Order: sequence, then structure tokens, then C-alpha cells
Amino acid sequence: MIEGILTGVNTAFSGYNIIMVMLGCFAGTIIGMLPGLGPMSAIALMIPITYGFDPASAMILMAGVYYGAIFGGSTSSILINAPGVAGTVSSSFDGYPMAKNGQAGKALAIAAYASFSGGTIAALFLLVAAPQLAKVSLSFQSADYFALMCVGLLSIAAFASKGQFLKAMIMTALGLALATVGQDALSDITRFAFGNINLMDGISFVLLVMATFAMSEAFMIIFKKMDINFKASDVSKDKLGSIKLSKDEVKEMVPVVGRTSILGFAVGVLPGAGATIASFLAWGFERSIASAKEKLKFGKGSIKGLTAPETANNAACTGSFVPLLTLGIPGSGTTAVMLGALLSFGVQPGPRLYIDQPELFWAVIISMYIGNVVLLVLNLPLIPYIARILAIPKNILVPLVLFFSVTGVYLISFNAFDIYFMAIVALLSLVLRILKYPMPPLILGFILGGMLEKNLRRALLINDGSFSFMWERPISLALFIIMIVIVLLQIYQGSKKKAELN
Amino acid sequence: MTINYTRISALIFLLIFLVYSYLAGEIQVFAFDEDADFNARTFPKFISYLGIFVSFLTLVLSKSEDEKFGHYEWLKVFVLFVLVFTYGIIIKSVGFFLSTNLFLLVSYYYLGVRSYKALLLCSFPVVAGLQFMLHGLLDVYIRDPFLQFLGVIS
Repeated sequence: MIEGILTGVNTAFSGYNIIMVMLGCFAGTIIGMLPGLGPMSAIALMIPITYGFDPASAMILMAGVYYGAIFGGSTSSILINAPGVAGTVSSSFDGYPMAKNGQAGKALAIAAYASFSGGTIAALFLLVAAPQLAKVSLSFQSADYFALMCVGLLSIAAFASKGQFLKAMIMTALGLALATVGQDALSDITRFAFGNINLMDGISFVLLVMATFAMSEAFMIIFKKMDINFKASDVSKDKLGSIKLSKDEVKEMVPVVGRTSILGFAVGVLPGAGATIASFLAWGFERSIASAKEKLKFGKGSIKGLTAPETANNAACTGSFVPLLTLGIPGSGTTAVMLGALLSFGVQPGPRLYIDQPELFWAVIISMYIGNVVLLVLNLPLIPYIARILAIPKNILVPLVLFFSVTGVYLISFNAFDIYFMAIVALLSLVLRILKYPMPPLILGFILGGMLEKNLRRALLINDGSFSFMWERPISLALFIIMIVIVLLQIYQGSKKKAELN
Repeated sequence: MTINYTRISALIFLLIFLVYSYLAGEIQVFAFDEDADFNARTFPKFISYLGIFVSFLTLVLSKSEDEKFGHYEWLKVFVLFVLVFTYGIIIKSVGFFLSTNLFLLVSYYYLGVRSYKALLLCSFPVVAGLQFMLHGLLDVYIRDPFLQFLGVIS
């Protein structure tokens, strides 16, 4: 393990990879700041750029983009009460009132310190937890993997659906169905291509992500007449105020950081749950344990109320790398996009990654520390300047996002068919979004589809076509019980909601 | 049962998964694989069962929600969609540099940008910068008849 860590340190601290982290954090901050564009779009936009890179550098860049986007989302949450990222919605509860009280600089500094602490503490947990989980998961068989992926799909449908579980399940089924287009991995039989040569290799993952996120987000900004413009003068240095924190304020933050980084990390590790749930839970948790006097401050500019979600969302981002790196199963939509990117590099994340490619495994973990330092050292002083990006008018921003999305897909295949197909998928996703069909389950279904089929095939062949592996293996049985619990919880919540409405 | 957009969409999904199920049954498999425990049809069949089940439940159980489509900018989105489509049609023949600049300029103008400075600054330098990065730094070849004609790239 020590040898692996040293290799990782060596890789992560190479001049080239440090530049990657810095670029990633910087680009992520800018994209995450723009309302409507979240970490998934930010990472999707980065994929085509990383095609010439080695997998370690590409992952480091994308991980940097991920934290950067979360940090950027906090900035727009605090300054203009328009979260760029769902995971930073709860940061606006106390961050925006602070900004309105003339303490925008202080709020941004609290967000930066809390993000840094949450990310760093969680990276320490990851350093310990990931190898242990990787060792345990070496004993997993196909049946267990199949069950684990089903849990992942069900839980992302449950968490991402916002009360629309059935719609999320339709999206999951659609994602799985789209994954079956093209050649079957084992028999080489072409399925659902309808004789179209462009579909014989299957649907490109980058195309689907770009169309359902970056492009449809751009359409949505125009479609909903979203007013995302912001006066550059409002984020000038004079208006932000001081970014210095007093000793008492730091003292107030420290215990909150400790508690919520553990909470955030634990939530991030769970499949399906991510930064959004972690940040809401942390805010609610801190509010519930606060004294009656402090409770009144929550929602009106409480330091604890801003520290809690900011720490938890960054800790959850780091936590979500645990299932991705050790089991090869993404815990969130964003890590699903990263998994797709890794697979396209020919890297198969999972328990063997830790043994076969320690430089990649450890470099990503070590780069998280560097990323957190970069966010604090580089981004915090630059916030007044970076925040001016919010002043880009939407009629300039939207064509640029469309251009980057189209170029990203075109540069991979040089096939104009992909552009047409992408435009159609983006338009359909826009309609589905308006009808409140969530997109992350579709992406996760699409990415896990191939692996799910492979593991189900193996499990059935080993068991002579019988599904008895579901209850014969203890790990599979435990996972299927979790699945049943998730479904029952959704039924219970649905019936409760119905009763409330009645 | 009242009709709402969710029900209509669920019905469309139900039909899609029914067709998908039919097509899954039509997948050609090798003769020796026909009665195997798992062949190329098996997984799509399972997916279709899941899809049919959840879309049917959505169709039956969905509540009436107020989805409003009227006050949105449908036309602008459609025009942008057509512009992206046209960009796809001309990119090969006209080349990356010219078609991209054309796409950006027309999109900006359509969305209301009238300042010549903004129009020019947000198109040519951005495209040239990206093309330089891809072509010059990352060694990604982009066929561009226009720039080849001008002798900028070989």
C-alpha cells in the first residue's frame, strides 16, 4: 500500500498533473458558477479534451472539475441566490442573507474554508476506506455485482426522482434499453441498429451525456427565459467586503466541520445519494442540534448554517469516489459520467484497479488534496474576478455551450450523423425534463447496462439458468433485501404524499 | 381517469417498450444459442418487462399536475435546434472554422446580440483558439477545406 501511495504521490505531483488539477478546478469553478450548468455538464464538456491524455491525468482533471463546479455553484448561490449546482442549494439558505447583509466576502471565505476542510478530511477517509473496501470487494462474484448494480440503479432512481420514482424508473429502463443498441459484447450479434451503420457500434456515451445535460441545459435557459444575467459591478471587490474571519467565527466553524464532514462522506459513499442530499441533511442536522437562540439565526445568515452544507457537499463528492474506484459502480450521476470516461480510456474501475493500476488509483486520491488546496489558494482571492463570469449574457452563453457540446461529440467520431442525433436527443430530453423525468437515472442505466448484462449472463450460466443466486449468496441476499426496502420506502412515501394531498 | 401530460408521456413510453419487447423477440441468435439460458435476446426482454411495468404503473397512478407549455420560448429553441442541425450538415463540406463561426454568429444575432464587437470577439477568437489548441497542441486533425485553401493548415 505504501508503495502504491508513493507512486500516486509521484504521479499526482508531476508538473503536468498539477497543471491539470489547477485547470480542472478553475474551469469547474467557472462552469459550476453558471446557473443551469452543473458538474455533470462541466465534466461532459471536458471529456473530448481529455481524449489525448493518459487516464491518470484525465481523471485528475475531471476530479478537479468536479470540486471546482461544486465550489463555483456555492459562489452563485451566495452572491445571487441562483445555485449553479443542486448540491449548493442549501448554501444559499444562509449564504445569500449574509451577502445581502454586506458580508458576501466573508460568506465566500466560509464556503471556501468549509469546502477545503470537508474535502480534505473526506480525502483522508477515502485513503483508509477505499483500499479496505477494494479488498472486501475482491470476494464479490457476478451475482453480487449484478445485485449491487441493481441497488445502485434503484437508489439513484429513488434519490434523484424528487418524489417521481416511477418516472425515474422509466428513465432507468430507457437508459438500459439504449445501452443494448449495437453489437452484443459476447455473441457480436447486432441489436436494434435497424440496418443503420452509425448505430452498429452503439450509441456514444459522450453524445448521450452532452445531449441530455450540456445541450438540453442550454436549450432550457432559452426555453424558460431564465434570467441568469448579473451586473459585473455587483461582484466588484468593494461590494464583496472583507474575506477575513475572526477567531470566534473560526471557533464556531470547527466543530461543525468535524461533524458534517463525517456525515457528508458517509452519505457520498451510499449509492444514489450525493452532494445534494448530504448538504440538506447537514444543514438540517446542524439546525436540529443548535441551541434555541442559534436556531433562530438559521436561514438569516448563520455561520453554522453555511459551514454545514458547504463541508458536507465537498465531503460527499469525495465519498462518491469510493464505490466508483473500488467497486466500479458509480454512486451518483457525476461519477457515472466519470465511469463512462474511464471505460472509454480502456480502464475498468473495480477492486482490481487498486492492484493493477495503483498509479491511477492513488493519483486520483492524492490529487484531491491538491485540488482542495488549489481551490483555497487560487480561487478564493480570484473570486471577485471569476464571479464576473456571471455577467455573461445568456444570448452569448447559450450558443457557446451548444458549440462546445457539438464540437465535443464531432471531434470523437467526425461523423455528422452524431450531430443530428445529438440535437434530436437534446430536444427530447428538454421535453422530458419539463415533464419532470430525471436524467441521471437514464445516464446511470446507460452506463451500467453493459456491465449489468455481462454479470447477469455469468450469474445465470453458473447457476444453470436459475435465479436462485439471489437468495443463496449472502451478499446478494443482503443487497436484494436493500432493494426491497428501497421500493417499499418509495411506496410508503408515495402513499403518504397521496394521503396528505387528500 | 383524467388526461394529463404525464399520462400521455407514460402511454408513449408504454408503446415504446411494447415495440422494444417485440423487437427483442425478433433478434437473430445463433441456432445453438436459441435455447440457451442466456442469449442476445434475454437482457432486452427483461428491460422491456421492467419498462412496460413502470410505464403502465405511471399511466394508472399519475396524478393530475399542472404542466404548462404555453408561455415558454418554443420557437427560439426550435430555431436553435435547426441551426445545430444545419451546422451538422455543412461542417464537412465547408469545414470546421467557417461553419462554426457561421453557426455562432447566426445564433448570437438571432438571440439578440447586435454589437459588432461582441459578435466578432465571441466567435472568431474562440474558434481560432480552440482549433489551435486541438490542431497545434493536442495533435487532433480536423479536416478544414477552407483553411487548407488559405494555406493556414496543410
